[in-house]
Formats: sequence, structure tokens, C-alpha cells
Amino acid sequence: MKPTDQNTGDAGIGPRDPDPGAKGPGAAHGSGQGVAGHGAAFRESGLSREEARAATDWVRKRVDRRNADLGERMEDVRDHMYELEKEGKILIHRIRDEHEPVTVKTLFGWDKQIPTRQLWHHKSCGQCGNIPGYPTSLLWFMNQFGYEPGRDYLDETDQTSCTAWNYHGSGIGNVESLAAVFLRNFHQAYVSGQRHGHDAGHFYPLVHCGTSFGNYKEIRKYLIESPQLREKVTKILDKLGRLVDGKIVLPEEVVHYSEWVHVMRQRIASELQKIDVSHIRATAHVACHYYKMIHEDAIYDGDILGGNRTAIITSLAQALGAQVIDYSTWYDCCGFGFRHIISEREFTRSFTMNRKIRVAREEANADVMLANDTGCVTTMDKNQWIGKAHQQDFQVPIMAEVQFAALACGADPFKIVQLQWHASPCEEVVEKMGISWSQAKKNFQAYLKEVEQGNIEYLYKPELAYGG
Amino acid sequence: MATYAEMQQIYDDIRGDFRYHHELNGCLNCGICTATCPSAQFYDYSPREIVQLLWTGNVEQIYDAMQEKIWACAQCMTCAARCPFQNSPGGLVAIMREVAIQHEMQSAKDVLRPFGRVMLKLITTGNQLSPDMIQPDHFPDWGPNIQKVEGDLRTLRKAIPMKTLQTTDTAWEVSLKTSVEMYTIWEMTGVLKSLELMDENLFDVIEDFIDEKREEYDEWLEEQEED
Repeated sequence: MKPTDQNTGDAGIGPRDPDPGAKGPGAAHGSGQGVAGHGAAFRESGLSREEARAATDWVRKRVDRRNADLGERMEDVRDHMYELEKEGKILIHRIRDEHEPVTVKTLFGWDKQIPTRQLWHHKSCGQCGNIPGYPTSLLWFMNQFGYEPGRDYLDETDQTSCTAWNYHGSGIGNVESLAAVFLRNFHQAYVSGQRHGHDAGHFYPLVHCGTSFGNYKEIRKYLIESPQLREKVTKILDKLGRLVDGKIVLPEEVVHYSEWVHVMRQRIASELQKIDVSHIRATAHVACHYYKMIHEDAIYDGDILGGNRTAIITSLAQALGAQVIDYSTWYDCCGFGFRHIISEREFTRSFTMNRKIRVAREEANADVMLANDTGCVTTMDKNQWIGKAHQQDFQVPIMAEVQFAALACGADPFKIVQLQWHASPCEEVVEKMGISWSQAKKNFQAYLKEVEQGNIEYLYKPELAYGG
Repeated sequence: MATYAEMQQIYDDIRGDFRYHHELNGCLNCGICTATCPSAQFYDYSPREIVQLLWTGNVEQIYDAMQEKIWACAQCMTCAARCPFQNSPGGLVAIMREVAIQHEMQSAKDVLRPFGRVMLKLITTGNQLSPDMIQPDHFPDWGPNIQKVEGDLRTLRKAIPMKTLQTTDTAWEVSLKTSVEMYTIWEMTGVLKSLELMDENLFDVIEDFIDEKREEYDEWLEEQEED
């Protein structure tokens, strides 16, 4: 079952319905009597599908959160950010026309700008350390679109992780340290273009990690709301030489790599796709920290999943033409747990096997599970083998949506998509896509001999990483 | 066992965090948070219970929950996304963990001891984990097929077409200047002090490492001046 169009409110609308039995509980059946949920007094309305839809339009409008008047219950923190800038208290790293932004809608129908060019890659420690196919596939796409490294994107060594994995795992760290790390990294993004002959603000930060994305937005909110926090971290940033005109630099939008993929999906499909994936059954797992932290900022689209779930991942899979299969634990986390995956792995692997892998396998019969964050791919990918110890002998290939898209666009499964680092059976979905895993592996093993000789192929000139 | 006054102080420190009133706005005991909580399925842990304890100011049971329960939370924040009051039970747990460390609770020390390897990596390099940490020896439960091409780790990392990722002991190459700036952040925000409270031996190792890196950076700066 595709998860789209499930919110049309059509259940039990009239006798002309061709297949009432397919509608499940609450639908009318041939006897004209109500079934579960309606009681014996239920009578058919006799309305046509169109009449019923018109009669209940007001209900749909009323419950559509994107049309709801939130009043003072939910404020857009960006409004306060602009006020602070007017008052001269902060500097905002603006998204400019040259960043070629695309405007999307978020949970409450607010606009969010997603810059598509001149991007500073803010890497993820979990991806780079464990799933390097994430960033390599992303940069590969940018090259395929003709982006010039050093002008249209930058990958450099002057950045740390957000450090929030440690914070969520251990409690060592605090709001001030998270804020100072955030502002240091984003200041570097702001000034990074200057070493390459561009002006300040040329490169806009593109955050690869889901937890960094959630954490940075949460910290930005605290910085906007708390003068005391701003005062404390301004002193730290001053000592580091990381202020601009005496002010901290806050980003106009915090942007996740999967949002870039989302807004580029039609171009990816129409300009770059080489492989038909219409026979691939894909399930989606969206990172909790993408849409559950500062949830008002996550992207929703009325045409994707009925606008009831974040559009990320599903939108790309649909654009590529894959079958997106729903499953009952879509909203569940992966079981990563930050500390748990390191030191309480029985929780992590039990949760991921029982609540994600088993369900994706048994309910959806998925060929692949697509994710958009570090911990999710690691957790679901690495914890399948141990299931055999509990007679859970089922597996599902796990990868990021950007890796799947790169495969569909002809990227090498090893050199670019870097699937050699995955433990789940990715070879199965690669083969099903019509790509020869064994030939690609053979080619890669030959390439490793070249690497040993120092003949390495790069996505960009290596000197750029050091400001050259 | 702490005295009542100590437990009261712990509660006051939790309430004193400026985030507290962002994260706790009321509670109807509806239990949506617990119904959606992954940890509640596997541990004696309920985000609803945490919220209720804090909402009602039950200092003894708050102290009791801080012994073990708060460490079960997976920090996924599903509870926060679901709560009709816009509470963040996960956010409250984060505050409680910080306070447990500030008060040098033995339970926090016990829970965090196996996490030391990650803290060492993070505080010294700015990366949480590195390729050489994710090897079959460290994760036997990940199985023999932990990666699909056998070979020397260094060579496999060199085969990643991004210069910054061709590392084995960090996830990406972090410049020395960046690392030194991060050490200043750790010092000025009390992170190193928290670490010392939790694990003095780990703190000593990290302090030595930081001193070495700073010397290395100073030498590099001197070389630049000479050039």
C-alpha cells in the first residue's frame, strides 16, 4: 500500500462506492447497516463522492494544521532573530539570491528557504567515520550538476562536530558549550569564502547530520531568547576571534542536507536518473532529530504523504519512481540512543530489530530502508546480524536516500556510494536495480591497488580542504 | 543516600536551569509521551513519570529517578514532538543528567564509565567517533560482515574521494587551530570541570593531550612568524 492519499476522508460515503469492502472498519457494507464505530442507527447518506467531499470540506480545513490559526501558541523564532539584528545585537548570515534558494513549506505552513548553491559542507562525525557514502554521494551530485568546488561548495578541515552526540549520551557538556561550538562553526562558514577570493557570507552552511540540525536549531532558539546566554558566549567567541563587528553570527535558516536533496529531487530525477527503480519497494525512516526537535521547522508538503508526515526521503523516492511502502512503525526511532549504541547495545539492537527491521521486512517486504541521518543508518545497518541469536533471521538493506539516488543516477556503488562500509545486504538491492555488484567489487579491488600507488581520484582538488 | 536538604538542592538546580520553563508547561497525565517512548518498551522508564515528579516537586522520588531511570532515555525527543502541552520530557532528562554530574552522583559515574572512549575522542578531536573505533574487535555483535571489502583500513579510507575523510583516527581531518579553539570552549564553559568530577583519570589523560596540542600549535605559530 502506498502511504499517500490516505487522508481523503472517503470512508463510507455512499452506495455507489465500487469496493466498499476494501475500506476497512467504519465503511458501509452491502446490507446498509453500520459496522464497527457507527452503531445500529447508522444510515447511508446517499451522497455522491463529490457531494460528500463538499459537505465535509470544512472538517478537512479545520483539522489541517497548516491552516490553523496558532495565535500566540507558537511563535516563529526567526521574527525575534530579525528584531535582534535590527537592534544591532547579532549578525544574521543571510540566504542571498546567489545561493539560489528554493522556498518550501514547514509544518505550520511557514516558508523556509533552502539554498542550493555556494554551500559549506558541515560534516557529520558519524557519517564520515562510519558511512562515508553519505557525503561522497552528496558532493558527487553537486559535481554532476556542474558545481565548481571552491566556488559552489567547500569541504574544509576548519570545523568540529556539533558535539551533541556526546551531550545527549552523557550529559557532559551544557548549553553554553553547545552554543559556543555552534557559533564557532557557523562563523567559520560565514568567513570561509574569503580565503578563496569571495566575500563574507559567500558559502552557506549545509548541515549533514540530523542531530546537529536539531541541536543547532534548539540552541539558536535559546540564543535568541536568552540575553544572558548571548552575553556568556559572546565573551568566548570574542576570545576566539570569532565575532563580526563585535557580534555573534546566526544563520537565517538551519539547513539539512536532506532538504537540499528534497528541493533538488525533480532535477535529480529528470536530468540525472539512469536506472528505472519502479520495481524497488522502499521504506522510509526519517531521523527523529530531523522532525521531532523544533518540529515547526521540518518540511511538509501537501502532495507528499498527504502533508501529514514530513516529506523528506519519501519525496525523493517518489520522484525517482520507486514504490514507497508504508509500515506501522514509521514514527518510531531507530533505537540509537546516543549512549545506548555504545554501552547498552542490547537495547539498541532489540529495538531496531523488533520495531524497524522486522516490520519493514514482514509488513512492507522492503527491498531497502532509506534514512537521512547518521545514527539511524548505523543502528539499523549494523545490528541485523546479531538477530540470528534470537531466531530473527531477517535482513533489510539500509542506506541514505542520497546514496540510493546516486545509485539510480549511475554512481559507482563502491567508489562513490561507498557501500563497502555497510553490513546489511545492500548487494541485494544493488543487483535488483540491475547493477552488477560482483563486477563493481572487482573494479574497486583493482582501484585499491591504484590507491596504494597514490593514484587517488578526488571529487575536488584536495588543496581546497586546506584553503588552497 | 543523600539528605533531604541535598535532594532539595538537586531539585532547585534542575528548576534553576533557564531551559526548565521551556521544557515543562503542565501535565494532564495523558501518557502520550510514554506511549511513543522507545525506552519505555524496554526499561522501567516513563517520561510521563519524570514530568509528573518534576511538576509535583517530589524531591525524594526525583532523586530516586536520577539514580537509573533518567539514563534509559534515548533522547529521540518523540515525547517532545507529541506532548499536547509542548513539554519536552527528553529535554528535562538532559537537564537532570547535567545536574547529576554536577552533584557527582555515583550512579552517573557508573553509567558513564563505558562511554569514556567516546568522550576521550570527542573532547580531544572534536569528532565523536573514528573509523579505527568501528572495527570488528570492538563490535563483535555487528557480525563478521561488518564491511564488504577486506583490506587495510588506511587504504580503504584513502579510497574515499574526499580529502578530509582520508583519516583513520578521526572521522575527518580537523585542523590544529580548530582543535585549540575547541579546547578553549571546553575550558570556558566548564566542560573539563564536569569531566574531572566524573572521571579523574580520563580528565588527566585529556589534559595532557590538550597541553601537547597547544604546544604543537604554538610551535606552528612561531614557525609561521619566522617564515
